[in-house]
Amino acid sequence: MIKSLGILVLSLFIHGICIAQDTSDITKMLEAEIKLAEKNKTEYITATFKTTRLVNGHSLENTAKHVLDVKISHRFGTIIGATGGAYNIFGLDNATMRLGFDYGITNTLMIGIGRSTDYKTFDGFFKWKILRQSKGKISMPVTLSYVPTISYETLNPSDSVLLLDLKRYPSHRLNYSNQLIIGRKFSDGLSLQLMPTIVHRNFPHDDGPHDIYALGLGGRQKLGKRTSFNVEYYYQLQSNRVPGSHDALSIGFDIETGGHVFQLHMTNSQGMTETKFVPGSLNSWGKGEILFGFNISRVFNVGKKH
Amino acid sequence: MYKRILITLNLIILLGSSFKEPLTIYNVQKGLVSFRSDAPLELINPISNELRGIVETQKKEFAFSINIKSFSGFNSAIQKEHFNENYLESNKYPTATFIGKIIEDIDFTKNTIVSVRAKGILTIHGVPQERIIKSELTIRNGVISIRSNFTVLLEDHNIPIPKVVHEKLASEIKVEVNGELKPK
Repeated sequence: MIKSLGILVLSLFIHGICIAQDTSDITKMLEAEIKLAEKNKTEYITATFKTTRLVNGHSLENTAKHVLDVKISHRFGTIIGATGGAYNIFGLDNATMRLGFDYGITNTLMIGIGRSTDYKTFDGFFKWKILRQSKGKISMPVTLSYVPTISYETLNPSDSVLLLDLKRYPSHRLNYSNQLIIGRKFSDGLSLQLMPTIVHRNFPHDDGPHDIYALGLGGRQKLGKRTSFNVEYYYQLQSNRVPGSHDALSIGFDIETGGHVFQLHMTNSQGMTETKFVPGSLNSWGKGEILFGFNISRVFNVGKKH
Repeated sequence: MYKRILITLNLIILLGSSFKEPLTIYNVQKGLVSFRSDAPLELINPISNELRGIVETQKKEFAFSINIKSFSGFNSAIQKEHFNENYLESNKYPTATFIGKIIEDIDFTKNTIVSVRAKGILTIHGVPQERIIKSELTIRNGVISIRSNFTVLLEDHNIPIPKVVHEKLASEIKVEVNGELKPK
């Protein structure tokens, strides 16, 4: 009798469990459906970096399709040292600038042109995303981009003390760079990239070789939703490096406000194109020969909705 | 004698729990979600066709979900990026959901158009809010069409608006949901 009552209570209990489970059933069903849908869809990872440049060099980001990105960049003289100090208002007197226009033809191909004060140089490049980091149906751990750059120095030899005695053919004014960018967004905040680079200079202005091989390392850590801390370093391989030069090392902050990205940085390199900064700089971080610089990026929509 | 009655009762109860009526599940076949931010300087009106949802007609329960990253139709690529990165934080909170029960009793076997209230938890940006949302149901030959308009206050879901975009982003977002559900 007691036994049977016990079983009765147990049955009621089981019955209760069966009812209670029902309420979460459809939520579980929905979750299963979402998971299935995710598996059958490829999701490309976005916003690996805030803009298309890390500091001096390229990040793996492209401007989106039909978006024009106007970049105004400045590098000042060293804060202390020959081009710095209070007399030169800590480098502000020795400003160089680059005006650049980047444009996205598709979401994986962008082109850009620029003009730098240094040697009155024009530059042009394209950046092609060969692989895109993604998850879901197609899972790709990294983004791979190819960035070739060409630059042309238009400075008249008579304007330069260094070049006065040189016979300059048009080809002497050309420099090239070929770069691969392999990068990954590891988390919402952390992105890292490797940039193997070859620079060929038709007529170097230093004692260095024509060809320079370098390996770039770069990354960012987000500090907030709209700010990030960036590092960029280009290591020149020992076999082909400019004698006496110091590898370009830069740190910077990205600050994003609506359509603008402000990049403020400290670097030892005044050059703002690969052909200029990858061969290093005479300034050394060790001796405190660092300079302040900034990039301002403003994007304009040329095309339709996104 | 008592024993027999008890055993019979037991059997009835156990059978009762196993022989429940089967769940009558409808799920979303086609679904659109759009939202509209109508601010003095800018109108933002993106749309997504990735609405997922299930309605169980016996107990009138429902669960809907939308993939935040699937919205497109922003005024610029950077706006879409900011929407995902800075406002909705779609990596952290990939979906918005509405889960609950329909208040009114409806006969899902009849062809009809009814206005119903759905009471449930609306979760956007990871912040749950209890809401009663009015919807219009059209039932035709076993297909349920849902149409619903409601507003979402960004403040309710802990989405702050920076001062510089006050004129470009409405604090009250109008949402429209359209879905077609068929039996599973």
